[in-house]
Amino acid sequence: MIEVQHLTKRYGDRTAVSDLSFSVARGEVVGFLGPNGAGKSTTLRMLTGFLEPSEGEVHIAGIDARKQPLQVKKSIGYMPEAVPLYGEMRVVEYLRYRAELKGVPRKDIARNVDKALELASVADVKTRIIGQLSKGYRQRVGIADALVSDPPLLILDEPTAGLDPNQIRQVRDLIRGLSSEKTVLLSTHILPEVEAICGRVIILDRGRLVSSGRPEELRSAGEGVRVLQLEARADGERLKAALATLSILRSTSVEPLGAAGIVRARLEVDAASLDSAAESVFRAVANAGIDLRELRREDASLEDVFARLTTHENKSHDDEQAPAPKESAP
Amino acid sequence: MRAAYSIAKREVFSYFVSPIAYVVTLVWLLWCGLQYYLMAGLYAGSPNLSAGGSPLTAFFGGSVLFFIPLLVFAPVLTMRLLAEERHTGTLEPLLTAPVTRLSVVLGKYAAAMVFWISLWIPTVLYVWLTSQFGSVDAGTVFASYLGVFGIGLYYMAIGLAMSALAKNQIVAALLTFMVLSGLFAIGLLSFIEAFAAHRDLIDYISLWGHMQAFSKGIVDSRFVVFDISVAGLFVYLAFRALDGRRWQ
Repeated sequence: MIEVQHLTKRYGDRTAVSDLSFSVARGEVVGFLGPNGAGKSTTLRMLTGFLEPSEGEVHIAGIDARKQPLQVKKSIGYMPEAVPLYGEMRVVEYLRYRAELKGVPRKDIARNVDKALELASVADVKTRIIGQLSKGYRQRVGIADALVSDPPLLILDEPTAGLDPNQIRQVRDLIRGLSSEKTVLLSTHILPEVEAICGRVIILDRGRLVSSGRPEELRSAGEGVRVLQLEARADGERLKAALATLSILRSTSVEPLGAAGIVRARLEVDAASLDSAAESVFRAVANAGIDLRELRREDASLEDVFARLTTHENKSHDDEQAPAPKESAP
Repeated sequence: MRAAYSIAKREVFSYFVSPIAYVVTLVWLLWCGLQYYLMAGLYAGSPNLSAGGSPLTAFFGGSVLFFIPLLVFAPVLTMRLLAEERHTGTLEPLLTAPVTRLSVVLGKYAAAMVFWISLWIPTVLYVWLTSQFGSVDAGTVFASYLGVFGIGLYYMAIGLAMSALAKNQIVAALLTFMVLSGLFAIGLLSFIEAFAAHRDLIDYISLWGHMQAFSKGIVDSRFVVFDISVAGLFVYLAFRALDGRRWQ
């Protein structure tokens, strides 16, 4: 659906997006992830034809965006960051106007507008003036706008920014619901969002692609050490002694948890031996006559992966020393 | 061109639901009323003048009272067109819709012409009033309005181009005012002896001469050509300004 090759955008001598290549297949929901200023919005603006790339090519649904910009724009429903809308119009008037602009045949306009109002759950405010709507509603009017011409591809720039938790859940449910019939590319800097709705993640940092893959793959990728959490009603020293018999543990830390003699331990194991580690720990603790209250594997969170991929120590020649982009199998 | 029509329609709608439209119309009508009152009084008090024309001739470009407000009202009409869309960010959904940038510019221009024409519709009342108390030559009136329409083509195009260039409405209005005043001032040089050698050129640019001819019922094709070419030039400039932003 989207084919991007060597996309580069320079503003003067600042490079916002640098040699970015990726593709999104029909029916995928892909999350663009990156810290603020990573080049997410710039990339989306180049895909939607608002900005012209300095270099590189964009094909949407097999059409060259530079050669046939109108054809490409027809197949995209785009919601820009911060959702700019005409505050003086009513919701339904705005959507009708947008449907006209997007070339929806006159006889289909009413039906398309109703469907978009319905899907984005803004039908209840359709006669309200946009300027008087809450942020959550405005955001969903933006989504309704993206949907109004029923395009095969949705590009949503931070669709949940500035919403309260309930609204975030609604928007995510909506996107998940749409994913059965549409290809979705969305940007975000919120990690749980990606885990919740995206089948694949593309991580950008400072205009470069740092990593790409399914959320689970990213999480397990390259994490050498995994963690087991354990809770038991026991004396801390006895527990330590029991655990000391296990060679697979790389480190053990035990601390009391509240009163009542409950302790919690954090055990680090090699990723390689993680598979059997829990059983070994269980047996060792049970043999020592200690009753377990809890034993669980802690997944490395995407936060950790994200932080590891996108934080930069203050190196003097940052660019030269940056590690080569890592890419796991798509 | 369906897109240009939709864009113009929305723009006109937004203008007429904004308070600015009513402030502009109110001030404009007060001004015109005052000016017409003065002209009518002048002609009524002096039979000699009346022999040579009617208060309408004077109303349409006979005095500086006609031109000064145009220099102020034109920028107010056009300042929002593109600068406001850029300022609030609505330019992004507009330009990522499947419409050409040329139809965006033409739609905006058409809307500006609707604003302009809406200013003049109430002045038809003065024509009617004058006809009740004296004779009015329909051809002269038609030529006067043609002249006004020509100025509209020219002023609205300049305003549109400035709105495409400027970051916000205020800057757009100021730029438009400066360009229009500059062009108007060049026309006034025709009254100064030192510029006599270039009088032909100056008269061609001069709005003063322009309206003098039209208000007497003379449709001078040179002025029509001038208006249309200036309009074309500035509409093209607006298009380039909008198009060029893609690369920034």
